Formats: sequence, C-alpha cells, structure tokens
Amino acid sequence: MAFPTRSNRSVKVRLAGIENNLSAFLAMVQKEFIIMLRYPVEFVASFAQVFVIVVVLTFAGLMFAPRGLASSTDSATTGLVVYGFVLFIYLSDTLWTIGFNVRREQKQGTLEQLYLSPVSKFAALASRVAITLFWTGLLSVCAAVLMTALLGTLPFENGGLGLFVLVMALSGTFGTGFAFAALTLRIKEAAQTAVNLLQFAFMVLCAPFFPFSALPESLRFFSRLIPLSYGVDAFRSTLMGYPPGFPELAPIEVELVIVTLFGLLMPLVGFWLYRRAEDHARRRGSLSEY
Amino acid sequence: MRSKSPHQPSLSLIISAALAETKLRLINISRYPGQMAMEVIIPIIFAAMPMLLGQATAGDNAAANFQANTGTANYFAYLLIGASTFTIVANAFWHIAYWVRFEQETGTLEAVYLTPTSSLTLAAGVALYSAVRGVGSALIAYFLGALIFRFNPLTGNLLLALLFLFVGLIPLYGLTFLFGALVLKVKEANALINLMQWVVSLLMGIFFPVTLFPPWLRFIAQLFPPTWMVNGVRSALLGIGYFLENWYLDWAVLWAFLIFAPLFSIQVFRRVEAGLRRNEGIGTF
Repeated sequence: MAFPTRSNRSVKVRLAGIENNLSAFLAMVQKEFIIMLRYPVEFVASFAQVFVIVVVLTFAGLMFAPRGLASSTDSATTGLVVYGFVLFIYLSDTLWTIGFNVRREQKQGTLEQLYLSPVSKFAALASRVAITLFWTGLLSVCAAVLMTALLGTLPFENGGLGLFVLVMALSGTFGTGFAFAALTLRIKEAAQTAVNLLQFAFMVLCAPFFPFSALPESLRFFSRLIPLSYGVDAFRSTLMGYPPGFPELAPIEVELVIVTLFGLLMPLVGFWLYRRAEDHARRRGSLSEY
Repeated sequence: MRSKSPHQPSLSLIISAALAETKLRLINISRYPGQMAMEVIIPIIFAAMPMLLGQATAGDNAAANFQANTGTANYFAYLLIGASTFTIVANAFWHIAYWVRFEQETGTLEAVYLTPTSSLTLAAGVALYSAVRGVGSALIAYFLGALIFRFNPLTGNLLLALLFLFVGLIPLYGLTFLFGALVLKVKEANALINLMQWVVSLLMGIFFPVTLFPPWLRFIAQLFPPTWMVNGVRSALLGIGYFLENWYLDWAVLWAFLIFAPLFSIQVFRRVEAGLRRNEGIGTF
C-alpha cells in the first residue's frame, strides 16, 4: 500500500482548489445569466437601445455627406466608425457591469456576505466578464451589421491579427474594469459620475467614432498616453487593411507591442488594485457602507 | 356656503409642498457637484462626436454639405442646440420616471399615498426641480460649447428661442408623467428610461432635421413636443425654417400640446395609480 507523500498531497490540494474555483466561477456565470434572463424588459430594451444609438450617430454623420441620408459613405469611414463602436460598447459595458455592479452589491448589502464566503474574489469579478463577453459580443455583431447596412460596405482584412488585437484590447479593458471596481469601493456614490466621466473621456481621447487626425494636437498628446487608444487604432487599421494614413498613432509593430502588454498586464494590475481596495474596505469596515 | 374639508389642503399648502420637494432635491443635488459638472460636459462631448467625424470625412466641404442637408452651415450651433435640448429631455424622463421608481424601491411610495398631499403635487415639485436643473445645465453647456467651438451663441432671435424652450417644457413634463405611469406598471425603470431617451433623441432630431425622415416616421416624430421645441429653438437662432413656415404657427402647435399633454398624462397616471392601489401594486417592486 502506497502512502501519499507530502508533495502528492499538495498537488491534490491544489487541483481540488482549481476545481473548486472553476466550479464557483461557473456557478456565478450561471447566476449572472439567470439574473439577466429574469429581466426581459431590460434585456430587450438594451438591445433596442444600441440600435437606436447606431441610427442616431449614423444619421448625424451623414449630415456631412453630400447627399445626406441618401449617401453611402466610403468603406474606410464605415470601418472607422463600426470597429470603433465595437470597442466603445465593450468598454462602456465593462465599466458598468464590472465596476458599477460592485457598487450595486454594496448598496444591496450583499457585498459583505460575498466576502465572508470562501469563494475566489477573482471568480466573482471574472463571472461578470463572461456576461459582458457574451451579451456585448452579440450586441456588437448586430450593431455592426446594422451600421454596415446604413453606411455601406464594411472592409474586412487580416481577420486573424484583428482577432488577436481585439482579444488583447478586451483583456486590457477588463483589467481597466477591475481597476474601476477598486475605485468604486473607495469613492462610493461618486462612482456613477466617474463611469460617465471615463466613458466620455474614452469617446474623445480614444477616438472610437472618428480618426485621431480630427483631434487637436494638444488632445492627441493625451491620446498617446492611453494604451487603449493604440488598441482602437490597431484594431480598426488592421481590419481595414492599413489604408493610407493608418495606423495613425505609431507604426503597427509598435502598436501591437503596446496592445499586447496592455492585454497581459492590465488584468493583473487591475486585480491587484481591487484586492488592495477590498483589504482597505475590510479593515475600515466600509464594505457594507454606502 | 361650502366649507373646505379639514382634510383637503389649501392651494397655498399644495404650492408649499411642491416647492419643499423642489428645494429638497436641489439641496440633494448640490451635494454632488461632479454630477452637475458632467451634465454640462456631456452635451458638449456628445455634439463633438459628429462634428469631428464630419470634419474628418468631409474636410473643407463639411460646412457646405451640412448646409445642404440641414439649412445652416453653422453645424457647431446646430449640433450643440440638439445636444443641449437632449439634456433637458433626458433629465425630464430620468427625474420623473425615476422619482416614481425610487420611491417604490425604497418603500416610501406607499407612505406618499397615505399623506393628504397628492402624489401629483410632489411630482410637480420634482418636475420644477428637474426643469431648473435641466435648463440650467443646457444653457451653461450651450454657452460653454460656443466658447470651445468658437461661434457666436447670441445670433438670431434669442428671446423667441427661449419662448419655444419654456413653452415646450410643460408638454414635455406632461409626457414624462405618461412615462412615469408606464414605469409604475412595468417597474424596470432603468432599462425603459435608457431606451426612451434614445428613442426621443431620434424622434426629436437631435443631430438632424426630422424633415429628412420618411413621411410615416416624420408624422410620429411630430407627435412629440420636443421635436417642435428643438426645431423652434434652432429656427429662431439659426433660421433653418419652421415646420409650418411661421414661428407663431409652430408656437401654436406647442401651445396645443401644452394644453392637451398634461391633462391626458395626468388622467393616465391617476388611472394606473388607482389600479395599482386596488391590486396591492404600490409597495411591490
């Protein structure tokens, strides 16, 4: 009969830990899905809302075209707006679903309970990402189809590299969401204002709806300091097949390095910040404060 | 001579209750200066999106193309008026509909119905607060935006523009009561308000003239008082043309809305309220 050695036991314990974490993560994803399906009005309304926003922005853009609503724009403009919009709704949803949901749990008084359970904190945050990936992915595909129908042919080149840039940009965006969740624990009710501020800062500085060349040089300086700007630029330039003038902020090789580092490091930095904010809140007894 | 019931509050008490509600909300929002600042910044940024896209795609022809489509080359003012008016409209929907939902969520809606003050009196107080906040933010956004985008904000007939704005506020708030009734019934306020504010932005022609819509959509758009309000303001300031050729005809339509919309909405609101009270729906959420 073989006795379990110390190292065998530690491997088993670790595997059981991973299994438990995975099971907790899946249970949380399921919980998020169930909650989403229990509010059909919200479900349908958020879908319809994206369509209306797309129509409003498209019509606004067409006011500058020679034949107004009857115009069809060139494919570079379509690509610029559609691919920018995809990243915009991901960032917007991430800030609300990851960052602001922590605030909701705090308000409802369930955050304290969540931290008393042995469940992985990372799984709790990541489960919200799963919903964003699924739901926002579906929304962005539908929005892209609608915008293409309204604006004209959508350019689609370098699909593989485009997917890589999207994955890295989203990974970095989720990391930003974790960092925002940390900020939410600190600033409490002001988080709503902070979400709005971040969204609008992104709309201007990361230029999802217009080329960076439209920004004044002074603002472009700040755009260059934000890694997500390179994500927007690299993503749309790659999928548009690098038309003249694209990418705008740096050569594509440099942008790919920045986006990759952003995608790999930001989730770690964001989660580290979140754990610090959570420890701080626990020490001060402010987890259930609002 | 008929004497007043001791349970029936006098007009001065009703006004006092409404003003107390307005004051309460103004004090509350003054504690969140960040939110107030965002309300000024949002319309400016929002208007900047199509401006930057238009300038980048149309280049030197941006103003000429815009004039051909809308009737004015001053796209800065046109888009900023749309975005600022949208702030007023969105505020109106959020404040009234969310007031109902907030009271419902916190469990105080039931208590509101047990006081001798009518819920409509309190809602009127919220509407006044919302109008002060919305119009204040919109005016600051417009003048600040004019400074940023470097155009003269005082072109055209400013007084007439303000007349369109203030007359349009009453039917707008009438509409929000109708929406408040829907929120009472359906309960999912956030999703409904989010959707509604975008639908209204489309129908009122936030960044484009509704005359470009197909006839059926134009007809629906013109059933919305904000459509007449924003077109009146734009025509008074930028001379893009009234729907009915003369300002007084457009203004008369807004007055018709002013009389009809609040009466109709209040009736609907009261019916929904009464239905919920009978069926134990007030305290549930």
